[in-house]
Amino acid sequence: MPRYAMVIDLQRCVGCGACSIACRNENNVPEGIYWSNKITETVGTFPNVRYHYIPTLCNHCQYAPCVRGCPTKAMHKLENGITMHDPKKCIGCKYCEFNCPYGVIYFNFDKPHKFWRENDPVIREGTASPKELVENVGGKSVPYYNPEREDTLPGVRPKGVVEKCTFCDHRLQKGKLPYCVEACPADARVFGDISDPKSAVSVLLGKFRPFRLKEQLGTEPHVFYIRNYNPAEYRPIKGGV
Amino acid sequence: MKGKNGLYYTWMAVLGIAIIAGLVTALKLFIQGHGLFNANDVLIWTLPLGVYIFLALASSGLTLLSALPLVFGVKEYEPLAKRMIFLAIATLCGAFVSVGLELGSVFSMIYIMLSPNLASPIWWMGAIYSLELVILIVKFWKMHTGDWRSGFSKALGVASFLCALVAPLMIGSVFGITESRVTYFGPVMPIYCLLMAILSGLALFMLYSMIYHKVTGEQLSGAQATVYDDLGNIFMYVTGTVVLFTLLKFAIESSTTIPEFLVYHRFEHAFGAWRVFHTEVILGLFLPFILMFISSVRSAMGGKILTSALIFAGTLAMHMEILLAGQSRPVGPKAEQYPEFISYFPSIWEWLVFIFALAVMLLLYTLGERYLKLAEAPE
Repeated sequence: MPRYAMVIDLQRCVGCGACSIACRNENNVPEGIYWSNKITETVGTFPNVRYHYIPTLCNHCQYAPCVRGCPTKAMHKLENGITMHDPKKCIGCKYCEFNCPYGVIYFNFDKPHKFWRENDPVIREGTASPKELVENVGGKSVPYYNPEREDTLPGVRPKGVVEKCTFCDHRLQKGKLPYCVEACPADARVFGDISDPKSAVSVLLGKFRPFRLKEQLGTEPHVFYIRNYNPAEYRPIKGGV
Repeated sequence: MKGKNGLYYTWMAVLGIAIIAGLVTALKLFIQGHGLFNANDVLIWTLPLGVYIFLALASSGLTLLSALPLVFGVKEYEPLAKRMIFLAIATLCGAFVSVGLELGSVFSMIYIMLSPNLASPIWWMGAIYSLELVILIVKFWKMHTGDWRSGFSKALGVASFLCALVAPLMIGSVFGITESRVTYFGPVMPIYCLLMAILSGLALFMLYSMIYHKVTGEQLSGAQATVYDDLGNIFMYVTGTVVLFTLLKFAIESSTTIPEFLVYHRFEHAFGAWRVFHTEVILGLFLPFILMFISSVRSAMGGKILTSALIFAGTLAMHMEILLAGQSRPVGPKAEQYPEFISYFPSIWEWLVFIFALAVMLLLYTLGERYLKLAEAPE
C-alpha cells in the first residue's frame, strides 16, 4: 500500500493561485472555504521589503490531531495515509477544526453555494438568475459542478459538517494525480508514494533539506516544502557600528 | 394563595414564551444552518458552547455536592440531597439543549454509539455525561420512592459521584489536548474545570435555595440555617481556592512572551472586556470573595443571594472569556481571510439558544419543586 505525500518546491512556485482555483473546480468547494490556500508574509521596512508565499493544504498528518479528537471517527485515516472525512458520520462539533494546528479544516455554516441558489437575476431584465444559469448549463449546485467528486464524497457537502482537502482521493483511485498538482503551471507540486525510495517525492526529499509546518508538534505532516525562494543578492559586507 | 398562584402562572407563561422562542430558533438553525451564529472558521465555538460548559459543570458541581450526604454520609445535608440531585438533572438537561443546538448535524449523533472513537475526549465527555444523566435519574427515582439506603441506591450515589468527578476533567481535556492552541494545552484546563464545577454548583445551589425560601416565604428552621451557614463556609473556601488558582494563572499568562497569550491583553471580545480589566473576574470572583469575609453578609439571606448570584454569573463570563481568548487569533492560512484578532458579540440567535437552555432548566426546576417533594429526607 502506498503512503502518499506531496513536495512543494517553493523556488518553482510563482504564487499564481492556480492550485486553489483548480481545487475549487475539482471538488466543488463553496465560497469562504479553502481546501487549497496560502500563507503570505511581508517582512522588512520599505524600501527593504520582501513578500513570502507558502501554499497550504491538508497535511495528511501521520498522527493527525483531527483524527484523534473526532468522536465518531468521521475524520479517519485511510491505509494510504490520506486523512479522509465522512460527512455522514460528522456531528458538526467542529472539534477537528478547533484541533487542527494548520488551519485547513472549514465548517459549512450555511447551505453551500448559496449564491447559486438565488432566484433574483444579477441585473433585472438583463441577466438570468444564478439558479437559472445553473439549470441552463445542466449543473448541480454550481454551473461548473464536477460529478466525479461524488465517487468518494458527496459532490457538495451539506451544511453543518466540516470539509477539507482529500489529496483528490477520487482521482488517485483512477490513477490520476491530485488536480492541484496537475494544474500547477510551474510543476511546483510533486506527488507520490513516500514509502517507495525511487518515487519522485523520495528522490526530492533526499536531494534537498525539506521542512514541514509546525514540525515541533510531532504530527508528522506529509506535505513537505523544499528550496525556499529568495533571488535577493548582497555584496559581501561586515556591517558597521 | 391567590397571589402565589398568579405569580406561578405568570412565571410559567414567561417560561412558555422562552421555550417557544427556543423552538423557533432550533427550527431556524435546522433550516438555515449555523450561519445564524456570530461564529466563523476562526472563532469556532461561541456562546452556545460556553453555556453548555457552564451548565454541564454546574450540574457536575451539584452532583459532587450531593455526595456529601449520599456518599460520605454527612447526615446534616440529607434534607438537601434530593433537591441537589434534581437540580443536577435539570441543569444537565439545559446543558444538552445548548450543545444540541451548537452541533451542526445533531442527527448524526447515533454514530457516537455506532462508531465510537475512544481516543477522543469529546466522546468520553459525551458518554460520561449521558451516563451521569441516566444514573442521576435512577438515583432520583430511588430517593423519590423512599429507597435511600439500599445497596443499589448507595451504589448509584457513588457512581454519580465518580461520573461528576471525571466529566469536568473530560471537558477540560477537550481543551487540554489541543496542540494547536497553546493557551489551552496541558493539565491546567481539566483542573480549572473541576474547580469551576464545584464553585458553580455551590453558587447555583445557594442561589436557588435562597430564592426558593424568599419566594415561598418558608422560614428557615434553626437546623436549616446552620446547614446553609456551613455551606456558606465551604463556598468561601472553594471561592478562595479558585481565586488563588486564577491569580496564579494570570501571573503566568501575563509574564510569558508566547504570542497566543498576548491576546489576553487585547480585550477585544464581549465578555469581561472593559478597558484593561477582566471585569468578569473582578465582579464575579474577587468581589464576592471579599464580601464573604464580612460575616453579616455571609450569614444574611440577601448576602448569600448577592454573592452566589455574582459568582454564578461570573463563572459563565469566565468560561466565555477563556473560550474566546484562545480562539481569537486565526490559525495558519486562515490569517489570509480574517483579521489578526477577532472580536465577538453573540447574535440574537445565540442569545435565544442561551435563553432556551435556561428556560428548559428553570421549567424542570419549577415542575420538580411543585410535584416531586424535593425537600424530602430519609426517615
